[in-house]
Amino acid sequence: MRKTINVGFIGNPNCGKTTLFNAFTGANLKVANWPGVTVEKKEGRATYKGLEFKLIDLPGIYSLSSYTMEETVSRECIMSDEVDVIIDVIDASSLERNLYLTLQLIELGKPVVLALNMMDIVEERGMEIDLHRLPEMLGVPAIPVSARKKTGLSILMHAVSHHKEYDRQGPLIHHHPGLQSSHRHNHHEEYAMVYEDYIEDKIDLIISALSQSYPHLDNKRWHAIKILEQDKGITNAYPLDLGNTVDRSYEKDIINQKYNFIEEIIGEVLVNKSRKEASTDKIDRYLTSRWLGLPIFLGIMALVFFFTFTIGDWLKGYFEIALEALSAAVSAGLASANTGEMMTSLVVDGIISGVGGILTFLPNIFILFLALAFLEDSGYMARVAFVMDDIMSRLGLSGRAFLPLLLGFGCSVPAIMASRALEHKRDRFKTILVTPFMSCSARLPIYVLFSSMFFGKHAMIVCYSMYVLGIVVAITTAFILSKMDGSKAEHALLIELPEYKAPNARTIAIYVWEKIKDYLTKAGTVIFIASVIMWGILNFGPGGYVTDITDSFGSIIGKAVVPIFRPAGLGQWQIIVALIAGIAAKEVVVSSCSVLFGIQNITTAHGMGTMVTTLGSMGFGALNAYALMVFCLLYVPCTATIATMHRELKSWKATLGIVFFQLLTAWTISTIVFQIGQLF
Amino acid sequence: MTLKQGKNNQTYEVKSIDMELGLERRLEALGLTEGTQITVLNNDKKGSLTAKFRGTRFAMGRRIADHIVVREVEEL
Repeated sequence: MRKTINVGFIGNPNCGKTTLFNAFTGANLKVANWPGVTVEKKEGRATYKGLEFKLIDLPGIYSLSSYTMEETVSRECIMSDEVDVIIDVIDASSLERNLYLTLQLIELGKPVVLALNMMDIVEERGMEIDLHRLPEMLGVPAIPVSARKKTGLSILMHAVSHHKEYDRQGPLIHHHPGLQSSHRHNHHEEYAMVYEDYIEDKIDLIISALSQSYPHLDNKRWHAIKILEQDKGITNAYPLDLGNTVDRSYEKDIINQKYNFIEEIIGEVLVNKSRKEASTDKIDRYLTSRWLGLPIFLGIMALVFFFTFTIGDWLKGYFEIALEALSAAVSAGLASANTGEMMTSLVVDGIISGVGGILTFLPNIFILFLALAFLEDSGYMARVAFVMDDIMSRLGLSGRAFLPLLLGFGCSVPAIMASRALEHKRDRFKTILVTPFMSCSARLPIYVLFSSMFFGKHAMIVCYSMYVLGIVVAITTAFILSKMDGSKAEHALLIELPEYKAPNARTIAIYVWEKIKDYLTKAGTVIFIASVIMWGILNFGPGGYVTDITDSFGSIIGKAVVPIFRPAGLGQWQIIVALIAGIAAKEVVVSSCSVLFGIQNITTAHGMGTMVTTLGSMGFGALNAYALMVFCLLYVPCTATIATMHRELKSWKATLGIVFFQLLTAWTISTIVFQIGQLF
Repeated sequence: MTLKQGKNNQTYEVKSIDMELGLERRLEALGLTEGTQITVLNNDKKGSLTAKFRGTRFAMGRRIADHIVVREVEEL
C-alpha cells in the first residue's frame, strides 16, 4: 500500500486555481473551514497511475507574508506535514504578478511544481513563453495546463509524482554577466532567488546563529530571510541574539530584489512582448465608465431578477405538478393503510405541504445562484466594487464592504462572514448590521408567493421593489450610523480587476450545486423540524389534540401578539404565527402559511386561489400583502444568521441589539407603508 | 504629484508611498514599491481610480491614490 501524496494547490486570486482543482476532483469535495477561521478549505481526491493524491485547495493569495488570515492559513498548511508537494498555479498571461508568490514558495524548500494556466490567452495575445528557460531559471518543473480545456492534467500529476521527494531544486542556469559578487558563496547554483551581497551576508550570519540555537530546524535559509523581514511569527517562535545584524526590517529590499529577479526572468522567458491591447480594457471602458458603470450594474441586476422570476417560475410549474401528485398519492396510501387521522394530518398537512412547498422554489433559487456564479466567474464582481466605491464611501462604508452586501443577496451567513475582510471593528459592525437588509434567497419564496397571489401581472415589479427597498434601507441605515459616529470615509479600496473571461461551466456547476445542496439540506432539517413543530402547535391546545385550529396554542400565541402588528396591516393571528416561525428560516413563513391555512400545494394556482379567498375574507388584501413582504424583508434574520452574527461580533449584547433594531425597523417601515397605502 | 492627479493612459513611476503600515505592506506584497511603474487607466471619477502595475489591473481607493507620490515617465 502506497502512501497518499498530499498536494497543496496554491496561487494568486483569479489565476484559475479553483477551476484547475475542480478539473481534478469534480464535485466530489469535502468543504470545511480552516480551524478557527472562516476561510474555506476544500479537499478532494484523485488517482494517477495507481498513485493516490489528496488535493487541498488553499486560499488565493498574492504573497506568503502573514498580514491576512488567508496568507497565514496557507503558510501554516504548506509548512505542515499536510502538504508534500505544492502545485503553484500561475496565470501565464500575468507572469510578472504571479511569479512573486512562486519565488516565495520555492524559498520555502518544499517540492514545487508550476502549473502554467491560461496559456491560450498568452497565445491569443501573440506572446510566447519559453518553457525551457523558465524551469532553468527557477529550478522547478513548469507544466502548461488548461484548466478549462482540461489539458496537461496528467502531465502535471506525473510531475508531482516525480518531484514528491525532491527536496533539492533542479539544476539552475543563471547568467549574470554584469554581476560582481563579493559574497563568499556562489548561491546562484543553489538557489533560484539570490539576493544582493549585503542581504546574503546577513542571511549567512543568521543561518549560523540558527544552527547553533535550533540545529534541527528545517530550511534555515527561509527562516533567516523571514527574520530579516522581521516577520513576527518567526521572530517570536525562534528568538535569537543577533546583535545588530537585523538593525531594521529588510522586507522592502527583499521584495524589490525579488521583483528585480522577476523582471530578469520576464526578460528572458517572455518572447514577443508587443502584445495586442487586451479586450478587457475595451470592455472596462464601458463597464467601469464614470457615467455608464452604475446604470449597467443596475441593468444587469434587473436582468438577473428577470431571469430568476420568469424562467424560475416556468420551471416551478413542473415541480408543483410533481408535488401535487406526491401528496395525493401519500394521502391515498395512508388512507388505504388505515393510518390514523392525526398521523395523516402530520404527514400531509405538516411535512409534505411544509417541506414540499419549499422545494418548489428550487428553480428560482437555482437561477439566482446561477446568475451570481456567472457574474463572479466572469470577473465582473470586482468591477462592481469599483463602481460602487464612491457611493459606499459617501455612506461611510468601505468599498470593500460592498462584497459582503452583494453576497447578502445569496445568503446572509456567508455575507456576514465576508465582513471579516474589513479592517476596522466599527466598519465590521456596521456591515454586519445592514447586511441582513439585503434580501437573501430565502426570502424569495415569500415574495414570489405573495406577489403572485395579490399582484398578478405586476408580481415581478413588486418583487424587484423588495430588493430595491432592502438596498435603500441598508444604505440609509449605514448613512445615519456614520453621521452618528462621525466616521470619515475610508477610501481605501484595493482590489484586483481580473481579465474578463468566459465563465467556466464546471466551476459554475460546482458552485451552484453547493448552494442547491445547502438549500436541500435546509429543507430536510430546519424546515422539516419547523414544519413539524408548526403542525404541533396548530393541532394541539391546552386541551390536547384539537380539530378546530382556533383552539390551538398557535392561535393563543398569535392572538396575544396581534394588537402590536395591527397598525402594520398584519392583524391576522395566522400571519403572526408564520412570522414567528420564520425566525427559524425565512422560507418557513411560506411553509407555515400552508400549514396554518390548511392549504396543500400552496404554490399551485389552485392553492393560491384558495388562500387569496381565505385571506380576503379576513380583510387581508394586496396592501396587507405588500406590508407583509416589507416586514419579511426587514425583520430578524434567521437563527443561522443570528448565530453567525454572534460568532463574528463575539457579544450577545451587540447581537441582540441588532436583532431588536431590525425588528423595530421592520415594524416601523411596514407600518408606514401600510398607513400611507391606506390613504389612497 | 500624486497618483490621484494622474492622467488616463499615462505611465508614472512611484517616488514614495506614505500611509499606515498595514496598507503599505499590502501594496508592497502586490509589488507596488518605490520605483514601480504604474499606468493610470481610469481616473475620471472623484473617488477611486483604476491603474495597472506589474501586469495587473487594480481598483484603488482615493486615499491610497492620494498617498502615492509619482513622477511622469517619458514615453520611449
